Amino acid sequence: MNFLAPAFLAGLAAIAIPVIIHLINRERKVVVEFPSLMFLQRIPYRSVRRQKLRHLLLLALRCVALALLVAAFARPFFERRRAGISTTGAREVVILLDRSSSMGYADRWAKAKDAAKKVVNGLTSGDRATLVLFASDASVASEPMATPDRIVAAINAAKLSAEGTRYSSALKLASQIIASSTLPRREVVVISDFQKIGWVNHNEIVFPQGTTVTPVDLGGATSSDVAVSQVTTDRDSTAERDRVTVAARLINTGSAAKSIAATLAIGGRDVQTQRVALPASGVQQVAFAPIAVPSGATKGVVRITPDSLAQDDVLNFTIAPDEAVPVLIVEPSSPRENQSLFLSRALAIGDRPSFRIDQKRVDALTPRDFDGRALIVLDEVAPPTGPVGARLRALIDGGGGLIVVPGGSRTETWPAEWRALLPTIGQVVDRTDDAGGTLSSVDYAHPIFEIFNAPRSGDFSTARFYRYRALTPQTGTTVLARFDDGSPALVERLVGRGKVLTWASTLDSYWTNLPLQPVFLPFVHQLGKHAGRYADPRPWYTAGDVLDLSRHGELTAPFLAGRGADSTTELVLDAPSGARERVTATGANHMITLREQGFYELRGRDTPVGAGRPIAVNVDPAESDLSHLDPQDVVVAVTSVNGQHQPGSEINTATPQDQEQRQKVWWYLLLGALLLMGVETMLSNRLSKATSP
Amino acid sequence: MTAPALPTTSYLDPSVLARIGNLELLARTVVEGFINGLHRSPLLGASTDFAEHRAYMPGDDIRRIDWRLFARSDRHFVKEYEADTNTNFNVILDISPSMRYGADAESGRPSKLTYGCYLAACLTYFSSLQRDRVALATVDTDIVDYVPPSAKHLQLILHTLDRVDRKGRDAKLTPGRSTLLAPLRKLSETMRRRSLVVLISDFYEDPDEVIDALSHIRGRGNDMIVFHLLDPRELNFSFSDASNFIDMETGDKMPVIPEYLREQYRKLVQEHTATLAKRIGESRADYAVFDTSKPLDRALFAFLSARQRFSRVR
Repeated sequence: MNFLAPAFLAGLAAIAIPVIIHLINRERKVVVEFPSLMFLQRIPYRSVRRQKLRHLLLLALRCVALALLVAAFARPFFERRRAGISTTGAREVVILLDRSSSMGYADRWAKAKDAAKKVVNGLTSGDRATLVLFASDASVASEPMATPDRIVAAINAAKLSAEGTRYSSALKLASQIIASSTLPRREVVVISDFQKIGWVNHNEIVFPQGTTVTPVDLGGATSSDVAVSQVTTDRDSTAERDRVTVAARLINTGSAAKSIAATLAIGGRDVQTQRVALPASGVQQVAFAPIAVPSGATKGVVRITPDSLAQDDVLNFTIAPDEAVPVLIVEPSSPRENQSLFLSRALAIGDRPSFRIDQKRVDALTPRDFDGRALIVLDEVAPPTGPVGARLRALIDGGGGLIVVPGGSRTETWPAEWRALLPTIGQVVDRTDDAGGTLSSVDYAHPIFEIFNAPRSGDFSTARFYRYRALTPQTGTTVLARFDDGSPALVERLVGRGKVLTWASTLDSYWTNLPLQPVFLPFVHQLGKHAGRYADPRPWYTAGDVLDLSRHGELTAPFLAGRGADSTTELVLDAPSGARERVTATGANHMITLREQGFYELRGRDTPVGAGRPIAVNVDPAESDLSHLDPQDVVVAVTSVNGQHQPGSEINTATPQDQEQRQKVWWYLLLGALLLMGVETMLSNRLSKATSP
Repeated sequence: MTAPALPTTSYLDPSVLARIGNLELLARTVVEGFINGLHRSPLLGASTDFAEHRAYMPGDDIRRIDWRLFARSDRHFVKEYEADTNTNFNVILDISPSMRYGADAESGRPSKLTYGCYLAACLTYFSSLQRDRVALATVDTDIVDYVPPSAKHLQLILHTLDRVDRKGRDAKLTPGRSTLLAPLRKLSETMRRRSLVVLISDFYEDPDEVIDALSHIRGRGNDMIVFHLLDPRELNFSFSDASNFIDMETGDKMPVIPEYLREQYRKLVQEHTATLAKRIGESRADYAVFDTSKPLDRALFAFLSARQRFSRVR
């Protein structure tokens, strides 16, 4: 039996009142001095004893009536149990405790911990409990066979995460724990704010039969929040010093308009503050005045007046100059005139990204020439062999890009290990007789061509290809573009973490007029960005994101000067909390999960603290959306198969208020109390009449 | 519980008397008021002045010759008058802790001790008017105060009674079972002359012990009047709330629900008074139960009727 308003049980102390009255009546504290008890002592005591017993009956009636009255006010109800559920025996209890960022709203986190402790305190001997903390992913926080004390300690030690909410991972973990349990009773307690954004029903997770799922809903029906959802930076490098214009997007999910202060901090110093009037359930853009920033990567923060959910009131970002993509164009020992001119000139234009281009003759090539390169273009030269070749292969395996332009070179003499990575390169196809071929089939879904997908975004059909090599794709290669005769024009193969692209024609005007077409420049840029693993610099990451350093040469390159991009040289990543992690640009530890909100710092082992590259991490913006999900949706989903409720499983979703209202036990208790009071009145009247002198 | 007072004695109501601070004034008020009413009383008309005639002897005052008898018998006879009684009048007042019971500030009713003091003062004053030698003894477990018999001791007795009354109001209870036996035996040894002894007590003792104590006085030929003082609540047990009762003499405690003990208590008290009346009557002493709410004149009536009876016997 549970009580909806247990505080009223304090009224049970009122039972003491009739007891005290009874005791006072039985043995008065009022003392009467009497000349002599000589006569009183001669009266047999029996009559007094009998009287006491009669009073005890009245006392019991009064006490029970009071107890019933108090119990009625405490609104009792019985936990509903269905047939088929084992109600005896040890329990396997899995406590899913949501520690996502949204749980930081008001006092939800404290309530959640209390609820979890309450569950633990309810364990009896033989019960087993597991604490699972979840946000975007779930993990078991209590060791196996942990005692309740240890679980409570784990609950106390649990901290809010900056990550978003995903129920599926937690439910899946709970399902596995429950499935492996041999205990007769299985319960899952989900303690969460049931954020709508965190629930996607894949119908994949179903708890075993007989599992009781109890949601503890801490999400309020109405919740308001103001958050910084987006920051954009516009860097102007034309002036003597770089100037950045920062604009922030603020969201108000509350039903009332608010006036708040938004502050921009650059490099740890508050530089501007603006008052913003936010409409109810609206969005407002705040544009800060342009500000001069250092040339390197700089920390920036937009902060607003803290509210109930403080974590999303701050948005961290970095203002970083574009990192140039280092490109090496390898030419034959005796190249044609201006063989790489079109390519190098095209790449040199533009700053998003900019390409740092070096050209080298193949006979002067050394392994060190590949250090720090993101992209190698073999412009009608055979892939190198020996140490240089091995270095190139390592570069590609580590994530580097290689563009092979066979042109008219004798590919049959190329090293077999390289030929194995390339499509079979056949004879030269001469289309001079039919005015050249065209690109007829382009994979616009591919990153290289996706920008040309929109109408009037680039027309490859005007380019003529008079000669090209006949390529035959091999297993593992992807044809990205074909000529009008069906022959592949651009073939891609993933090698290690790098890419090898083979272009069938030339990149100058020797075999094609493509370099003379407007589409050439964006095409080469896209090709260079894709092959050179360039990613647009992200001003911030979201907590829970995985940072793949091998794909972000712009982050690691400053600390790998003189070393290869595939270097296993250890770098240091300092988390906002001070935790330090050893990472590598491309080696075993190049994947890092960014879990904490704030600024991580990536630096070389010899780089002093503070001189590294800041990486901004923010809470998942989706966490600001506090829309509430009906817990029953989750519970029904995990206890049903194909929409049918599993026999034996229990959905303990009815709130205590619902259960109490359905049962209305208080009504019977009140009736009982009134009846007892009536009986008591009658009895006491009768007794007093019978005993009055 | 106060009985309706007679018109002529309304000022003798104990609650009114309690307002008179001076004990002599109080006694005089009571006694003189009583004597005024005496002339109208059919019960108290006898005079004891004339005793007998005797033959005239030379030297006798001729004014004492009964000339009427001379006319009838032609002989001279002289009238002999009863000499002044001048007996010893002893009041024995029980001042045990139980006698302090009964003071009721609300109704002005005095305690049994105060009532006893008033009674003793009045009787002593009355006797003093009769030129008796008056004496007083206050007793508890032993004799506490003793004023030896003397015709001049009225003031001393009144002063002693006043002191006893004040002390009884102020002093705290010192538990201890009092008994009349020892003090009465001692007192009887001091009574060399035949005396009229008035014993005022609440008699919370076994009747046998009371009779045993009285026998020491009676055995020496003294006349006795026994006034049994009881508060109305001692008679009726008119308590309502259940309380912890403490014995004023022994300090014993007892939880009591009055409504369930009242009848049995009344019965026991009636048996006790009836036994005392019977046993004291058998020992030729007078016994009267006095409700302290009743006027004092009733005590005086009882006293005088007893005195009249004793004079006849003598």
